[in-house]
Amino acid sequence: MKPAAFDYLRPSSLEEALQQLAAGGDRAKVIAGGQSLGPMLNMRLAMPSVLIDLNDLMELAYVRDSGAFLSIGALTRHAQIAGSALVQARCPLLGQAAKTIGHYAIRQRGTLGGSLAHADPAAQFPLIAMTLGAEIEIARQGGSRRVPASVFFQSAMATALAPDEIIRCVHFPTISVNEGTSFQLFNRRHGDYAIVAVAATVALQDERVVRVRLGLSGVSAIPQSCDGMVRPLLGQLASAAWAADVARAVRAVVTPEDDAGITAVYRKELTEKLVQQALERALTRAKG
Amino acid sequence: MRHVEKRSITLTVNGENHELWLEPRKLLADALREDCRLTGTHVGCEHGVCGACTVLVDGKPVRACLTYAIQMEGHEVATIESVASNSVLSPLQQALHEVHGLQCGFCTPGIVMTFEAFLKSNPAPSEEEIRDVLSGNLCRCTGYQNIVKAIQMAAVQMRRNADHVAA
Amino acid sequence: MSPPEFRYIGQHLPRKEDYRLLTGQGRFVDDIDIPGALHACFVRSPHAHARIVAINAEAACEMPGVVAVFTGQDLAQWTTRQRMAPPIAGLQPMEMDTLPIDKVRFQGDPVACVLATDRYLAEDAAEQVLVNYDVLPAVSTMWQALAPEAPRVDDSLSSNLLSHQHAEHGDVAARKREAYRVIESTFSQHRQTHLPIETRGCIAVWDAGRQHLTFHVGTQVPHPYRTTLASRLRLSESQVSVISPDVGGGFGQKIALYREELTVAALARHLKRPVRWREDRLENLLASSQAREDFCRTRAAVSADGRLLGLELDIVEDFGAYSFYPGNYLARVVAMILTGPYKVQDYRYDVKVVLSNKVGNGPMRAPMAITSWVMDGTMDAIARELQLDPVAVRRLNMLQLQDFPYTMATGEVLADITPRETLEGALAAIDYAHFRQRQQQARAQGVYLGLGICTVVESTTYGSRFYKAAGIAGSGHEAAWLRIEPSGAVNASVGLGATGQGYETSLAHAVAEGLGILPQQVHLHIGHTDIAPYGMGSRGARGGTAGGGTLYLCAQEARVKVLAIAAGLLGLGDSAALRLQDGCVEKMRDGIWTATGVGLADVARTAYLDPLALPAGIAPGLEFHKTYEPPPMTYSNSTHVCEVEVQVATGAIRFARYVVAEDCGTVLSPVVVEGQQHGAIAMGLSGSLFEQVRYDAAGQNLSGTLADYLVATACELPHFELIPMHTPNRATPAGIKGMAEGGVMGAIGALTNAVNDALAPFDVVVNQQPLTPMYLRDLLREKTNFIHKA
Repeated sequence: MKPAAFDYLRPSSLEEALQQLAAGGDRAKVIAGGQSLGPMLNMRLAMPSVLIDLNDLMELAYVRDSGAFLSIGALTRHAQIAGSALVQARCPLLGQAAKTIGHYAIRQRGTLGGSLAHADPAAQFPLIAMTLGAEIEIARQGGSRRVPASVFFQSAMATALAPDEIIRCVHFPTISVNEGTSFQLFNRRHGDYAIVAVAATVALQDERVVRVRLGLSGVSAIPQSCDGMVRPLLGQLASAAWAADVARAVRAVVTPEDDAGITAVYRKELTEKLVQQALERALTRAKG
Repeated sequence: MRHVEKRSITLTVNGENHELWLEPRKLLADALREDCRLTGTHVGCEHGVCGACTVLVDGKPVRACLTYAIQMEGHEVATIESVASNSVLSPLQQALHEVHGLQCGFCTPGIVMTFEAFLKSNPAPSEEEIRDVLSGNLCRCTGYQNIVKAIQMAAVQMRRNADHVAA
Repeated sequence: MSPPEFRYIGQHLPRKEDYRLLTGQGRFVDDIDIPGALHACFVRSPHAHARIVAINAEAACEMPGVVAVFTGQDLAQWTTRQRMAPPIAGLQPMEMDTLPIDKVRFQGDPVACVLATDRYLAEDAAEQVLVNYDVLPAVSTMWQALAPEAPRVDDSLSSNLLSHQHAEHGDVAARKREAYRVIESTFSQHRQTHLPIETRGCIAVWDAGRQHLTFHVGTQVPHPYRTTLASRLRLSESQVSVISPDVGGGFGQKIALYREELTVAALARHLKRPVRWREDRLENLLASSQAREDFCRTRAAVSADGRLLGLELDIVEDFGAYSFYPGNYLARVVAMILTGPYKVQDYRYDVKVVLSNKVGNGPMRAPMAITSWVMDGTMDAIARELQLDPVAVRRLNMLQLQDFPYTMATGEVLADITPRETLEGALAAIDYAHFRQRQQQARAQGVYLGLGICTVVESTTYGSRFYKAAGIAGSGHEAAWLRIEPSGAVNASVGLGATGQGYETSLAHAVAEGLGILPQQVHLHIGHTDIAPYGMGSRGARGGTAGGGTLYLCAQEARVKVLAIAAGLLGLGDSAALRLQDGCVEKMRDGIWTATGVGLADVARTAYLDPLALPAGIAPGLEFHKTYEPPPMTYSNSTHVCEVEVQVATGAIRFARYVVAEDCGTVLSPVVVEGQQHGAIAMGLSGSLFEQVRYDAAGQNLSGTLADYLVATACELPHFELIPMHTPNRATPAGIKGMAEGGVMGAIGALTNAVNDALAPFDVVVNQQPLTPMYLRDLLREKTNFIHKA
C-alpha cells in the first residue's frame, strides 16, 4: 500500500503555502497531521501530484483568549488542545472532546484544521464547532474570510473550503464558568469514530435551565445543532426528568439513515440515551 | 502515471545523520528499515491503526507509516534501537521481559516507543490511563494484561530512579 | 503447578528470546536484506467471480523499475497444479492452479505478478496491468451455495458441496422418542481472519550453480512446507531449504504453501534472481486465509430432570473458494469432539462444507472453536427450557473422575482430564451462589448482570492413529535431536515452527529436565529445515506434548550415555548411583547426593577427543536423535466463567470478571502458559465481540482495512484470572498435555452464555456472533414486553 508518486513542497509561511496551493490547482493537496490523509494516500484513494506540507507553519499553532472567543490556530495538535489549561478554563468542551480523538500517537500529530477540513461526519471537532457556533477563519491568497460552522460544513467530507484556501484558525465562543458541559460518545471500541456523539452546555438560573447548547453527530451528514428544538423546554427545573424529556424530543426529530450494519432506529435510540446522559452530566457540573 | 525524481534528504535518526536518496512518497517506516537499515520498526498495516511502526519524532510518538521520510528533515527521529543503552535494557524493556509482556515481539517496538515517551511526561499513570494509551497499539498474542503490568512496574522503577537521581 | 519431582520443568523463568525482540534486533522475514532482490506485487481480481478473458501487461512492462509481469499461464510451465484429494469418504477432490488461468473465485484472487526493483514501482505497474474479465454471478452465503441452481464455484464439481460427512452412534431417534423434550438450538459463528500483526511474506533465493533454492518464509511447519514446495516446483527435497526466522504471529494462517509464495519461488528460479514479497495489510485482509464461518444446530433429547439422552448436530461451514486445506478437516473435528465433558452415547452428526466466492478457509487458533459454545450453549438451552439451574444441568451430565477413561460416542477416548474439577474450581472462584443474589438485586435496579459458563475439553496433540481413523493423511509424530558439544554446551532441535509461543524457553525446560542441566544452558534451533529434524510443525497445541515430549525423551537418552561415561571416568562399574544435576555429576553416598568433581564438559571432552578412554561398548560423540509418536489424542481441559453487564439501552457489554480454571497437565514453563492462556482468551473475546469478515451480495469484501475489521484493544478486554488446577497425563512424557487453543473455545462460549444469562428477563437468546450492540438492541427491541428504564 504505497502512495502514488507526488511532488513535495514545504512552505515556511502561510503566504507561501497559499501561493503554492493556488499554483497547484486541483492536483495539489495540503497535508498537516496526516492522520486522515496518510491512509488515503497510502491506499491510493487520494492521488495528488503535489503535497504541500504545512507542518512548518508554527504561526498557525496557538491557543488565544480573545474574550468572547477562544481562537485556536489550525495547526494546533489534538494533544495540545487536550492538555491546554486555557482550553480547560474557557472552552472545556473542546478539551473533553479532544481527549477522545483516536489514540495517543494520533493526537500528537492530528490538527484542528485538518479535522475540520476533512469533515468526517463522526469527528469530534466539527461537532464542537457546530454546537458552539464557531467561526472558521479561512485564508486565501490576498485575503481571508470568516465562515460560521453551519455554513462551513456542507455534507459528509465536504466543506465550503475552496481548492485554493487553507484554514487559518477557528474562533470558538467561550463557555462561562457557570455553564456545565458534557461530551458523550458511543463507539464500538475505545478510540474508534463515534457512532453517535453529543456535546452539551447548560446554564442554570434559580435551578432552572436558562440556556442550552446541544449538538449531535452521527444522525446526519454534518453535525447537527439541536438548540432550536430545546428552546421550548427552557425555563424548566433542572432535573433528570427534564433531561429525559429533552432526549425524547430530540430522538423524535432526528432523521438518521440506515447504513451498513447500523440501522436508523439504533442511532435514534443511542441519540436519546446519549442526550439524556450528556444533559444530566452537564446539569451536575452546572450545579456543582 | 507521474514520475517524481528522487531527492537527497538528511534524516537524523537516533542522533546520527543519514544522507538518503529517495522519492518524496517514501514512508518514514520504509526509509528507516531499508535506507537506514534499522529494521526494529515494524510495518503492520500502513494505515495508522495497528501502531507497530510507532517511533518518536522530537520526543513524541508518531506512526511512521503516516509520515513521509522527507517530512522529517529538521526533526529528530528516535527508534527502538535507541532505547537500550550499551545492551542494558530500559526499565520498560526490562519489565516487559520480567512479566512476559511480549510473545512474537512484532508489536513490541511500537509499544516500547509509545510508552518510553508517555511515561516521561506521565510518571504515575493509573491502569485506566495506561490502557487508554495502549489502545493505540494492537497486539494479537498477549491479551495486553502483562503489557499493562509491565508498564506499571516500569513506572514505579522510573520514579525510583528519578528519586535516586534527585537525592 | 507441576509436581515437586521436577527440578526444571515448571520453573518460573523469563523467556530467552526476549532480548532481541525488545531491542528491535529480531529477524523477521522483511528484515532480511538480500541484495539485488526484486519485489513482487500481485495484481488481484476486483470481482468475486469472473472468467479471465485476457491480461495485457504491455504498459506495465514499460514502467520504471519493472523487470517482468507473469500470469497463471507462465506459472503453469514452472510448477505443478495443487491437487487436494485425501481419500476421505464424502470429500470431493479439488485442484488449484498456481495462479488462476480460467477464472477468479474471490475478490482479491491473484491473477498476475509484477516484479520490479522496489515495491513502490511494482505497485505503480500493477495498476497498469489491464485484465479483461467476464463477470459471473457470485455465491456469497452458505445457503446460496447449497441452493439447487447456485452458480458453481468450482466447475469440476457438480455442486458447491465440497464435503459431506455424517455418522450415527447409538440410536438417537429412539432417545428422541423417549425424551421428555427435544430442545433445538442454533449457533451461528461469523467469518473471521487470523490477523497476525506480521503479514505474510517470503524471499526466494535460487542458487543456479548448485541448483538449490533457499526460501525464507515465516511458517509454522518448515518441513511439510519444504516437502510441498519442492514437489510443486518439481525439485528434489534435497534442493530446497526452508528457513523460518522470527515470525510475528501465525495462528494457523502460516501453514499452507500459498500461491503467492510458490509464485515467488518459481520466478526466482526462472529469472535466476532473488525475489521477495511482503504482503500488505489490505492483501492480508483480502486474500489470506479466513476462518470459522459455521452454522450449527443441535437437538438435545432430555429427560425431565435435565439428563442428556441423545444429541444431534448439524454443521454447515462456508469454506470459501479454494482448498488451501482439506475441506472436511476443520468442521469434522468439531463433530468428533463435540460432546466433550458430557456423558452421552447416542449421538448423530451431519457436517456439510460448502464452497463460496470468498477466500479459502484455514485453521485459525482453535479451528474447533465453536465446539464448546455449542455444547455448553446446548446445556444452557436445556436449563432454560426446563427451568433448571444451568450449573445443576452441567453437574448432572458431566463426566467425573471415576468415569475415565471414557470412550466418547465417536470413539475418542478421554483420559486424564478433570472437567468437573475445573468447573467447581471456577464456580468457587467467582462465588456463584453469591452472584445469583447480586443478579437479583441488580435486576431490581434495572441493571442486567449475567454469568456464563463454558467447560472446554481441548484436543491438543493429534497422534497418527487419530489421523488414520479420521481418514486424514499425515503423521502426528515429532522428531528431535540433542547434541552436547565438546565444551559441554547443549544444542537441541525439534521439528516445530515458532511464531511467538516461546519455544526457546519452554522447550529448554523439557531438555533441562530430561538431561539434568539448567534451562539457561540449553540452546534451541528451530525453523531451518537443514538443521532441524523432519517434524510435523506447530499446529493445534502440539508443541508441548509432541515437541516438548520428544525433546524430553531425547534428553533422557542423552543422560543415560552421559552418566555411563561419567561412571567410566569415576572408575565405577555402572552409573546406578549417579545423577546429573545442574550439569554436574553427583554420586549417592550414604544416602546423600555428593559432588564428584566431574561435569558435563569433562564427559563431552572425553566423548569427542579421547574416545579410547570411553567405557567398553560406548561409541564416541554425544549426539542423539529421537522420534516420538504421541497417543491418538491428548486433551487438556478448562472451565471459563465470565460475568458481564449488558447495558440494555445501548446493547453494550461490559466485563465484570473473567475467571478460568485450567488443567493443562505438566506445565513446562508457567510463564509461557500464562501468556498463551491470556492470548487465547483475548482472541476468543475479540472474535465474539468485534471481528467480522463481511462480504456483500456481490461477493465484495467489505472488511478490507483495520477500520472495518475490528480487533480488541487494551480497553476492551477484562482482567484474566487464571486458577491452575493441573494434573499430569499418564500417557505422555513428563505428563505434558499442551494447551493454547482452549482459551479461544472457552471465551466464545462463556461470553455468549453470559449475555444470554443477562438478557434472560427479556426472554432474549443470542444465537449468533459477533455480539454487536446493534444485534443485542435488535433482539431487545423485538420483545414488546421490554420496558426501557431510562
